[in-house]
Amino acid sequence: MKTILLIVMFAIFLNPFAGISQELMNGQLIAQKTNDRNEGVSLKRDLIMELKDKRGKTRVRKTVALRKYFGKEKRLVIFYKTPTSVKGTAFLTFDYPDATKDDDQWLYLPALRKTRRISAANRGDYFLGTDLTYEDIKLETKISNNDYNYKTMGREKIDGHDCYVIEAIPKDASIEKELGYSKAKFWIDSQIWMMRKSESWDTAGNFLKTVKVSDIKKVQNIWTIHHINVVNHKTKHQTTFKFENNDYDAALGDDYFTKEALVDGL
Amino acid sequence: MLYIQHKSLIMKQNRVEAFFNKVTRNHKVILILCGILFITSISFIPKLTKDTRYDAFLPAKDSVLVKRNELKKLFGLKDPMVIAVINEEGIFNKKSLEIVHKLSETLKKVPGIDPDQITSLSTENNIKGTETGIVVDPFYEIEELTELKALEVSKNIDDFELYQGSLVSKDKTTTLIVAEMLDSYDRKQHEVYNSLYEIVSNLEEENHTFYLAGEGAVSGYLIKYIDEDAMRTNPFAGLVIALILIFAYRTVRGVLLPNLMVLASVGIALGLMAAFGVDFFVITNGLPVVLIAIAVADGIHILGEYYESAAKFPEYTQRELVVHTMLKMWRPITITSITTIGGFMSIALSSYMPPMIYFGIFGALGVCIALLYALFMIPSAMMLLKPQKSKVFKTADTVDIYGNIMVSLGKVVIKRPKAILTIALLIIILGIGGALKLLINEDRIKNFQGDEPLVLADKIINQKTDGTSYLDVLIETPNEEDLFKIENLHKIDSLQNYIETLPYVKGSTSIVDFIKKMNQSMNENREEFYRIPENNQLVAQYFLLYSASGDPTDFDNYVDYDYKLANVRFRMNSGEYINEKMVVHKAQEFIDTHFKSSSIKATLSGKVALDTHWLSKLGFNHFLGAIIALLVVLIVAGFSFKSFTAGFLTVVPVTISVLFLYTVMGIMDIWLAVGTSMFAAIAIGVGVDFAVHTIDRLKYFLKEENLKITDAFNQFYKSAGRALLFNFLALALGFSVLMTSSVPPLNQFGFLVAVAVVVSFIGSMTLLPAIILIFKPNFFINK
Repeated sequence: MKTILLIVMFAIFLNPFAGISQELMNGQLIAQKTNDRNEGVSLKRDLIMELKDKRGKTRVRKTVALRKYFGKEKRLVIFYKTPTSVKGTAFLTFDYPDATKDDDQWLYLPALRKTRRISAANRGDYFLGTDLTYEDIKLETKISNNDYNYKTMGREKIDGHDCYVIEAIPKDASIEKELGYSKAKFWIDSQIWMMRKSESWDTAGNFLKTVKVSDIKKVQNIWTIHHINVVNHKTKHQTTFKFENNDYDAALGDDYFTKEALVDGL
Repeated sequence: MLYIQHKSLIMKQNRVEAFFNKVTRNHKVILILCGILFITSISFIPKLTKDTRYDAFLPAKDSVLVKRNELKKLFGLKDPMVIAVINEEGIFNKKSLEIVHKLSETLKKVPGIDPDQITSLSTENNIKGTETGIVVDPFYEIEELTELKALEVSKNIDDFELYQGSLVSKDKTTTLIVAEMLDSYDRKQHEVYNSLYEIVSNLEEENHTFYLAGEGAVSGYLIKYIDEDAMRTNPFAGLVIALILIFAYRTVRGVLLPNLMVLASVGIALGLMAAFGVDFFVITNGLPVVLIAIAVADGIHILGEYYESAAKFPEYTQRELVVHTMLKMWRPITITSITTIGGFMSIALSSYMPPMIYFGIFGALGVCIALLYALFMIPSAMMLLKPQKSKVFKTADTVDIYGNIMVSLGKVVIKRPKAILTIALLIIILGIGGALKLLINEDRIKNFQGDEPLVLADKIINQKTDGTSYLDVLIETPNEEDLFKIENLHKIDSLQNYIETLPYVKGSTSIVDFIKKMNQSMNENREEFYRIPENNQLVAQYFLLYSASGDPTDFDNYVDYDYKLANVRFRMNSGEYINEKMVVHKAQEFIDTHFKSSSIKATLSGKVALDTHWLSKLGFNHFLGAIIALLVVLIVAGFSFKSFTAGFLTVVPVTISVLFLYTVMGIMDIWLAVGTSMFAAIAIGVGVDFAVHTIDRLKYFLKEENLKITDAFNQFYKSAGRALLFNFLALALGFSVLMTSSVPPLNQFGFLVAVAVVVSFIGSMTLLPAIILIFKPNFFINK
């Protein structure tokens, strides 16, 4: 008995993680820092979505995406350029800062010449056939302030950048169901406070997705993402987002972010 | 000249004698070798894997099967386990839907079930039009389920034609939970079946009944079913054979030695199957019993001769007795083994289906092993024993009751040869008529007894819903997004409309159904908009709209990722070949006229098309197999008797036995199916033994001993006739053991071969002597 006790004590003594946690930054604080980042007020960019199914067949959709903050409210509009079959299709979303208020979303279908309202999607629903959810799109690699209890696990390097590794567990069952994740892990760059990688598990505890963010560069002095890759481990479906021609200075009048503007296109 | 012939005969005789002298001198080495071969072979048996899937009936390289597997991979199609939840008062209430949810969730955790491939009311999405747009939502969420919500689900199903009949029965009393298995469980479907069966049979909910069926369940249960069946039939066959041997010789060695031989034949054949990685199929289950019945014959004849010799030559040493016996018996048992091997090999040569090919090959191998053990092991084992007499053969002239029975039969033949000939001719005429009317049919569910829970489940599910027999049609177009084209969608739609009018086809699902539904949803759910929209772009944009709230992989089972290929799945409520064949032919005709262009192509696939493909070869292969077997027998017998007349006479009784069976099959409504189709070749290969022995002995008594016909017949019936009687009993009763099998095809196969054996035995014992009496061929009679 004594020997076992000794071994246990020795093991605790040797455990490299014991004691370190005090030096690591608190997870909630890290989440906050990702939210405090400068994103500029407006942004115009080309967004190329490459969707790949498990057999390696791809769909490429070229779009132009505009984003602008109206105070704390964020509006995003996406105009489809190719393929021809969906050219002119446009998607508009209003993200309200009030979490209790459902976001508004519309899709304009040129073949029908009608703008359709999309009823409030679950935050965990897939965004327009991609592997990212509406919530992922909304956060744009920020970490939610309100949904998770965080635990900082340590530090690791991703693509040569020092990152905090934080584990996130949804605060309650309803959030878990809404998000579709039972657990997530984030790798947050400790210099620029951007997420470089994340992993998530579905509500049944199966390994679900890996998100990798790369090619982060400064554009007009703002740290900007140029590449996101998402692999869904369950469906083997993959999504790549490429952001090109990022422009924070483009003149984006408020009128772009209206239902009426969807019809006219860019 | 005669002298030279005689000399060469004596020289040959001497060589054979020298050979068996060598065998008896090295008996210990031989026994050790036999033991090693046996033990090494059976050590592989635990590695045998069972394959009960219907895919197993086609060679892996078959083009139709290859195409089908591509299609399965492309669209993620599997042979599912199907659970039916039935509430005669209707399933759209809170409790029933709770059960569906609970069961669906339970299934997700069953090892071997793909948790993402469960289809039920609780997993599927409804596509609904709203005032402003379109919503893709689960039919219900368990947290929000109320009686009112259940009624709403009912209403939603009313609006969603796609799920009527496929997911929910039209009378709303039944809903299905369809679960697909992981590929890694292809050979372990029985494990999944067992888990599911346990779950389903432990469910007790008031007013609800549960059934488990589907192609996956059939394959899974078959593995378990044939295992249990083998456990029963194999020992029973062994017991029957042992009893016959006890009656034949009433000595320990007379029972033991032939049984050892049988054990070796079955054990080595199955061991080699395992060693070569050949799967154990449903019909393989009949192989051990068949080998038991066949292999014992050599032993019966050798021991019969041994005891006769022991009675005749009491002064002989054991070696002299053994060598004398082998000298007399090696030839007939070699010939009969070769003809039996010929029977098995003609199945292997004429068949297209691997289960039958392997049945033929390993059956032939088993007979080969039996012959080897008869020629080497039995004489060697006898050398360990002292000379012995059987009570049955006290002196050279003793004739027991069995001998007497045969002698009286001989008297009938001598009296009424013409009557016998007339009966034979009648059987031939009736048989040809029967052969022309033979019904080629098959149904996998008929592999089980009619009162099995699975059969009941299958029947109920087929009655209540669209059924679980699938015909898949692969649609191919040359360019990306061609399946957004309106003209292509209309073609698919017309294909669905046409095939759905065919009997037993109850419903179908394709991407077109979803497009129609989306169009309706986008037009305020108005019924008249449940149709294909007017322009290509709109179709593409519907899919984009759908993806705003649906999953990216939702249509994986119906259309490929770049909209070039689509799968249309038709559901039939019959798995019978004749029904499937009719649908496949009509569908193919339609495709040939409407899908001829280079812009769209259609190919039939799925279980229904596969069944039609392999079963279409069954009838031809059956007759081909029978003809090859007859030719083999004719050639082997002709050469070994050095006479065409003798060869021809050898095939007469077996031909009659097979023709007789065609009549029996017609009267008893037995299908020519996978199991039964093998009967003819086996019956020929096995049944011919009687004719071989008869002709060999009769020639000996008539030509060499130069006896008068009546004396020769008398001698023949009491010695060879008696041995043949036991040989016959062993075969007939051995094959009859298969009739106790609970696998109906094996059961029928056993019955048919047993009857064929009876007919060819009677034919050999009556018709052949009658022909000799009437026609007095030169081969037998010194003129």
